[in-house]
Amino acid sequence: MKTAELAIIGGGPGGVVAAIEAAKAGVRVTLIDENQRPGGQIYRQFEKGFKITDPEVLGEDYEKGLDLLRQFSSLNDKIEYLNNATVWGIFDNNTLAFARNGASSSLSYRKLLVANGAYDRPVPFPGWTLPGVLTAGGAQKLVKTERILPGKNILIAGTGPLQLVLAHQILTTGGKIEAILEAGNINKNWFQVLKGIWGNWDYLKEGWKYLRSIQKSGVPLLYNHILLEARGDGRVEEAVFAKVDENWRPRPGTERTVKVDTICSGYGLVPSTELTMLAESEHKYDQLLGGYIPVRSENMETTVPGIYAVGDGAGVAGSKVAIEEGRIAGTSIACSLGHISDASADKFIEHSRRRMDRYNRLRKVLDKMSMPRPGLYELAKEDTVICRCEEITFKEIKTAMVDGTTRVKDLKRKTRVGMGPCEGRMCGPALIEIMRIHSNTSPEGDGYLNPRPPIRPIALGVLAAGTAKVKKLEKHKEAVNVS
Amino acid sequence: MGMEDNRVQNGVKRGQLFEITVDGEKIIAYEGETVGAALMAAGQRTLRYTNKKEQPRGLYCGIGLCQECRMVINGVANTQACQTLAAPGCQVETRKSDQKRGSKI
Repeated sequence: MKTAELAIIGGGPGGVVAAIEAAKAGVRVTLIDENQRPGGQIYRQFEKGFKITDPEVLGEDYEKGLDLLRQFSSLNDKIEYLNNATVWGIFDNNTLAFARNGASSSLSYRKLLVANGAYDRPVPFPGWTLPGVLTAGGAQKLVKTERILPGKNILIAGTGPLQLVLAHQILTTGGKIEAILEAGNINKNWFQVLKGIWGNWDYLKEGWKYLRSIQKSGVPLLYNHILLEARGDGRVEEAVFAKVDENWRPRPGTERTVKVDTICSGYGLVPSTELTMLAESEHKYDQLLGGYIPVRSENMETTVPGIYAVGDGAGVAGSKVAIEEGRIAGTSIACSLGHISDASADKFIEHSRRRMDRYNRLRKVLDKMSMPRPGLYELAKEDTVICRCEEITFKEIKTAMVDGTTRVKDLKRKTRVGMGPCEGRMCGPALIEIMRIHSNTSPEGDGYLNPRPPIRPIALGVLAAGTAKVKKLEKHKEAVNVS
Repeated sequence: MGMEDNRVQNGVKRGQLFEITVDGEKIIAYEGETVGAALMAAGQRTLRYTNKKEQPRGLYCGIGLCQECRMVINGVANTQACQTLAAPGCQVETRKSDQKRGSKI
């Protein structure tokens, strides 16, 4: 089995920057990425065959991202980059297992950095499983990197700046948006917004550009409005929305119906924490940062010594914060491995921290506006499917709660929620919130689904094609499952 | 199918054009597009039917997590359409996701 001085999981901004800093200091890095090429979701590169002649759709930030990726590839003698590789387990003795090219392999490491990123918060509303309902992130990938519009008449529904970015991209490429619904209320929070924006001029410039583009297009941007339901026979045909109060509960009599064939649902992001949870590091609930996140030291180390976490996967704060966290972690790791002195690491980290504080000021303001309110998790009706894989309805979940199930983990045992191939990624965040607002349950403690290896669906043939060492790991896996 | 095209034509130059077969019918795809993207471009939203309730499902997360886009691609069941690059002659089938396995998950 190979040993990496530093193994990094995830090729988005946080992972790439940590790899650059550690490698520059002399650390031998192995970066494992699920994608074909580094960049993550935000700096996703184009597939072979595509030539983009209008960079406007990509945004200004994309150019900066490409600079980072160029730096990353210039260090290819120090960084081993494993693409198309899916980590499916983390085990004792500093070992992880991943599937790549149809076979499973294991890798041991001295230090591990998890930079797993985030994904769109899945929100169950009636009709959310109809073809034509997709996440804002999924729609953005289509528009940005494949230049395909998700539909002909689009409704964008959710909260926060990411959906404005998507609207701008759809409009720039000539798509038709019926309306943009923003559940939050910016007017009420304008003083806070100004305070947060102070000093964050590049953010302000970008936000202004998106708002202007939407205004010029004449597409209605409705604040304090929420999508209630998607309707249609086998696909989205119309959407029902309404005005909401400060708890995002619909105001009676304000319902409206609009004919659309596509709904992009964008309620912010939730962190991908399955690997840090699998490593049994401590997690805490932080609603502003997207839900359960790993507890970390100032140097980004989790409560398991030697395992670090950065970026949106450790608390949703955006790419700029992920970059600074990556710098801090990469430098700290290089320092703890003896490649650089404490003094030079501290000096370097100090700069990153100052920048991070400034970004976080604005983020907190925007997060408060966009933080999901209870009304969002009251949209599901009795027959609404909450767990897409196992097709478990809200009624089944409610029945289990009434019967005395007070923890998400027990709900899984009782109803099979979260046991399908998405491994609980789609229902997990909603289950946490549904349980939190349900009067009989307590939000304290580890109120999340336990991830179990393999954390991604892996064909048995892929496991069988691995080495004898992996077979040993499989035995370990069974032991973990039983406990 | 085949008539609708949701591709944006401005600001992009695409690579090689070819055909793939979906449930016996031909649709077009370009080099670098995933099977899921080519289907979205053709306006085909339904990618599979669920096992229990036989409900149609389509592209949802689009980034390889939700598993809703599992199709039978070149004879292999449970292949994620959003993660599989289309290639000339690709055979794609829409059906119950684990029909070929003959058992429930």
